Amino acid sequence: MTLDHDVVVLGAGLAGMRAALEAARHGANVAIVTKVHPIRSHSNAAQGGINAALGEGDSWESHAFDTIKGSDYLADQDAVEVMCREAPADIVEFEHMGVIFYRNEDGKLGTRAFGGASQARTYFVGDITGQALLYTLYDQILKAGVKVYEEWFATSFYVEEGACRGMVALEMITGELHLLRAKAVIDAAGGLGRLYEPSTNALICTGDGYALAYRAGAPLMDMEMVQFHPTTLAGSGFLMTEAARGEGGYLLNSLGERFMKKYAPNKMELAARDVCSRSETIEIAEGRGIDGNVLLDVRHLGKDVIFKRLPQIHEMAMDYLGIDLIKEPVPVRPGMHYQMGGVKTDADGATPLPGLYAAGEVACVSVHGGNRLGANSLLDTIVFGRHSGKVSAAYAKGVAATTGGDQLLRSEQARLKDLLARPYSGETHAGLRLELATTMDQRVGVFRDQAGLEDALGKVRALRKRYDNVAVGDKGRIFNQALTFALEVGFLLDCAETVVMSALERKESRGAQSRTDYPERNDAEWLKHIVLHYRGSNEPALSYLPVTITQWKPEARTY
Amino acid sequence: MKFTIEVGRYNPEGNYDASAVAGTAYPPPWDKAPPRRYQSYNVDLPEHAVVLDALIAIREYQDESVAVRCACRSAICGSCAMWINGHSHLACKSKLAEFTKNGKTRVETPPSMPVIRDLVADMTPFWQKHLAVKPWLQGKKPEPPPMEEYRVPNSAMEELIQEVSCISCGCCLMDCESFAVNENFLGPHALAKAYRYAADPRDALTKERLGEYSAPGGIWDCTHCYECVTQCPKGVAPLEQILKLRKMAVDAGFTHNAGTRHADAFADSVKHSGRLNELTLLPKSVGFFNIVDQLKTLPSAFNMIRAGKLPPIIHKSIPGVQRIKNIFARVGGRFK
Amino acid sequence: MKVAFWPGCVSKGACPELYVAANAIAEPLGLEMLELTEAPCTGAGVLSEQNPELADSLNGLTLAMAEAKGGALMTICSTCQGVLSKHNHRLKSDPSRLEKVNATIGDQGFRYGGTTEVKHMLWMLFEDIGIDRIKAAIKVKLTGLKIAPFYGCYILRPAEYLGLIERPERKTYLEQLIGLLGAEAVEYSGATKCCGFPMLTFNRDKSLAMGGNHILEAKDKGADLLVTPCPLCHLNLDGQQPDAARVLKKRLDVPIFHLPQLLGLAFGLSPKELRLDHHVVPTRGALEKVELKV
Repeated sequence: MTLDHDVVVLGAGLAGMRAALEAARHGANVAIVTKVHPIRSHSNAAQGGINAALGEGDSWESHAFDTIKGSDYLADQDAVEVMCREAPADIVEFEHMGVIFYRNEDGKLGTRAFGGASQARTYFVGDITGQALLYTLYDQILKAGVKVYEEWFATSFYVEEGACRGMVALEMITGELHLLRAKAVIDAAGGLGRLYEPSTNALICTGDGYALAYRAGAPLMDMEMVQFHPTTLAGSGFLMTEAARGEGGYLLNSLGERFMKKYAPNKMELAARDVCSRSETIEIAEGRGIDGNVLLDVRHLGKDVIFKRLPQIHEMAMDYLGIDLIKEPVPVRPGMHYQMGGVKTDADGATPLPGLYAAGEVACVSVHGGNRLGANSLLDTIVFGRHSGKVSAAYAKGVAATTGGDQLLRSEQARLKDLLARPYSGETHAGLRLELATTMDQRVGVFRDQAGLEDALGKVRALRKRYDNVAVGDKGRIFNQALTFALEVGFLLDCAETVVMSALERKESRGAQSRTDYPERNDAEWLKHIVLHYRGSNEPALSYLPVTITQWKPEARTY
Repeated sequence: MKFTIEVGRYNPEGNYDASAVAGTAYPPPWDKAPPRRYQSYNVDLPEHAVVLDALIAIREYQDESVAVRCACRSAICGSCAMWINGHSHLACKSKLAEFTKNGKTRVETPPSMPVIRDLVADMTPFWQKHLAVKPWLQGKKPEPPPMEEYRVPNSAMEELIQEVSCISCGCCLMDCESFAVNENFLGPHALAKAYRYAADPRDALTKERLGEYSAPGGIWDCTHCYECVTQCPKGVAPLEQILKLRKMAVDAGFTHNAGTRHADAFADSVKHSGRLNELTLLPKSVGFFNIVDQLKTLPSAFNMIRAGKLPPIIHKSIPGVQRIKNIFARVGGRFK
Repeated sequence: MKVAFWPGCVSKGACPELYVAANAIAEPLGLEMLELTEAPCTGAGVLSEQNPELADSLNGLTLAMAEAKGGALMTICSTCQGVLSKHNHRLKSDPSRLEKVNATIGDQGFRYGGTTEVKHMLWMLFEDIGIDRIKAAIKVKLTGLKIAPFYGCYILRPAEYLGLIERPERKTYLEQLIGLLGAEAVEYSGATKCCGFPMLTFNRDKSLAMGGNHILEAKDKGADLLVTPCPLCHLNLDGQQPDAARVLKKRLDVPIFHLPQLLGLAFGLSPKELRLDHHVVPTRGALEKVELKV
């Protein structure tokens, strides 16, 4: 089938649905393509809260400064200003849409403290904020009657005469490939957590949006900036919200010390995430860990606070480790969590590729620079989701419909057919992915160095070659998850190369990039973004973009 | 530790492994889905591993053709709800060691819903019912000034959070006995969501909502079996939300239904005699002027008479019934 | 053993055979049943949902009356068990609620201290009376009978109020008892499901289909009869069985026994004494299998 719309959004998480809602409000014929039901999107896993300078005595400038400092000065300050200035209105809008934010006794929205924030400005719903926002937004999508192609898996963007004009997607329930033509495409397909093992991310976070945009000609920026969340559950890697520390929880080493005193004497456990992750890694490496973990202790917060404000992590610790947070501390360690880098956009979500917009984790505006503050991602998704929805709808008005795309559809059909016909070679996609993800964890983790990164790059490229021979273990048409998984591994491999190359290129430590061979931040040479363009079977082309500085000159970053 | 999983396979293209054993038909009313073929797999996993770990291990290393919805692995996305040993659970929260019965654990899609393939159920009925309750906030007018939230007390909002924990996994609907027998029933998930919006002080449509939810297929089609409360992995307790909705609906005046008449008849009987008078309960609940439905109950009434099971015509009060009357007078609410 | 005995409304109304049978087996079980003649109906859950405060007070009164008599509060109805357990939990877990209820029932001369334990006869058989006593009282082994247990929702869910987390074995007492009495317990999925009674007046056909389906499943698995500890289930499964058969367009004809009737038979009481001739669905066929005549 060939379907025509004004705006097609890839991804039905917070960014995707917010963009679609806005585009619809601006009169666009919009459709969402999503490989899972909207409320299964990974936005539902965000726990702690969403930032806004809404409270008395707070200011967007303070929020912006915290964000920029948090980014280790790699964030583009004009975009940060947009986000922080508009945050309060967006929070209130979500409250009007129905989100049941926590309220104080006077009936006004209340806040909690979060990492890297100079004052408490994180609005929340228990420790299920992402879920609450996602559901409310989905309810609004239903109310607005937005079309959703549910369980459709995008295999390729459609580019016509240098502009993005839609995508080809596999309808899982029938096995048919369809061409969706559009005047504008919004890429909101989320993160790439499966690139690392372990990771807090869901199995569906396979870098689809990065790879599809990249292959279509949009550049990827700051890919080396991978965030490791300080408190992921030992063993499974599940997220234990920063709110645990926001509510007053401690990080302890094997000696029972609050070791953050050595690394961030002012903010302690609420220093920026990269600082905390590094500190933990050092403690563990220097023998003060417990089986490769440190301890998160919330006992002193008491039963009431834990049940009311941290119910989900209490349930998780109990279910997966048999630990009752009320009585015992829980072992945690840094785990891959978020990709600050992504598809380069401006503050309206526009990528350099005409017709292609991006928002949410997949995009790099950049507001998070080298390190994202907790509770800024939920904000990022709705602010820039809204912007890209509005701007793409306006853009679409000035674009004529196209009748092309048939060739792409046929070539995708052939490609998938060939993929399915490949004979078994002894390897599986799962095995390949695990090798890739383990390599990334070991060589491109919290601490990196030249030798490790070079080794990783070699491995990634070798895996890429092996990938071309791996067969798909299910030849069926209906709901073939082995096929979509094979495509996802392809996406991850493309992403991997950009992450490692960027990490190799940046010869300094900044934010989440910590190189033991270049341990200092070097503004003179490296206050810039690293950008990669896809060159097919050739090596990607590397270039730089300046960091936009408005008010805040880079300073030393201590917590 | 070694575990055996029996996976209920269903393939619309008819491709089954030779080892897949045909299952028996599900007993009505659990017979909306075709019987499956069960294929056994053995896995070796840590002793605290969950069913989803087994399914992923099978899919990655043994049989790539097993289709199962899963994403977060940590009970927040709701994708992996399925029947495990005959009851609905999240696969990512179900420990293999606890579920292994007679050496194996059986997984399949719930038979009260259609199946797409293997462990992927067709959730269309679930989403249709969700949409049917108008699950969005229609903000009360006047809206608060820009940049201001609705000023409502936290206490009014706190009890709604119980439903906000819902992850739409479908476990409740999958085991709902009323839905199994009556596909028009809106079901626990949708009605819990309905309560969340009906009770939201910021919503303008409360009265309309209560009227709609009181219609056939709504709150009065719940059989109070507590399966949804038992199976919900998130403590949403859908039945409790339905009961709250019932009270709200009756208090709001939506009383022209058997449910309200039933409660009134019950209360009347207990208030007057301290006990239930079954003789009058049934006809009163049905509604005296509801001739058609009254006639429907006649055959069973005759049967009861014939078996000598008719309650005494003269319904005696219990000794000390005044105490009961006094209690009603004091806290009887609308039953005073 | 003394117990405060709450017979419930239905055993004194539309299921008099239950009341008779329950009293008839008191002696072999060594039970001194002190009937709470002045206790009110529990409300069967219906009053609880429309006016929780009222139901708290009515049931608080019953609990207080039992407390005054000493011993456990024994029920013979799954629904009474469920409702009383729920309200007992509500009162025991919230001191301010208990205070309020005591203020209301205090004026009627009672005060609840929160110590009553509510136990169905089915539980007391295993937890208080004991297997040995039951075995000693058996005079007639029900060998050859295939019996399908039907618990009734209110005695199984929700688990927390019914002590099923601490004592999960309560979910298998009927099967255990059936085995003890020499018969074979039929395994079928309907054993723990809903008979449909709560919906009878709201959606009659669906209610009857629910109960009817479970009977059909048991019958297909070879059951000669169903046994249930709940007279409300009995009303739907036995009282309405002919109608259920009509709705399902299938023959049923499966007798439904009350728990005390089954015990009574095993203890050597006659079917007539147990009023097994006062059912809507004739029990003759099942009784003949163990050479008993009604």
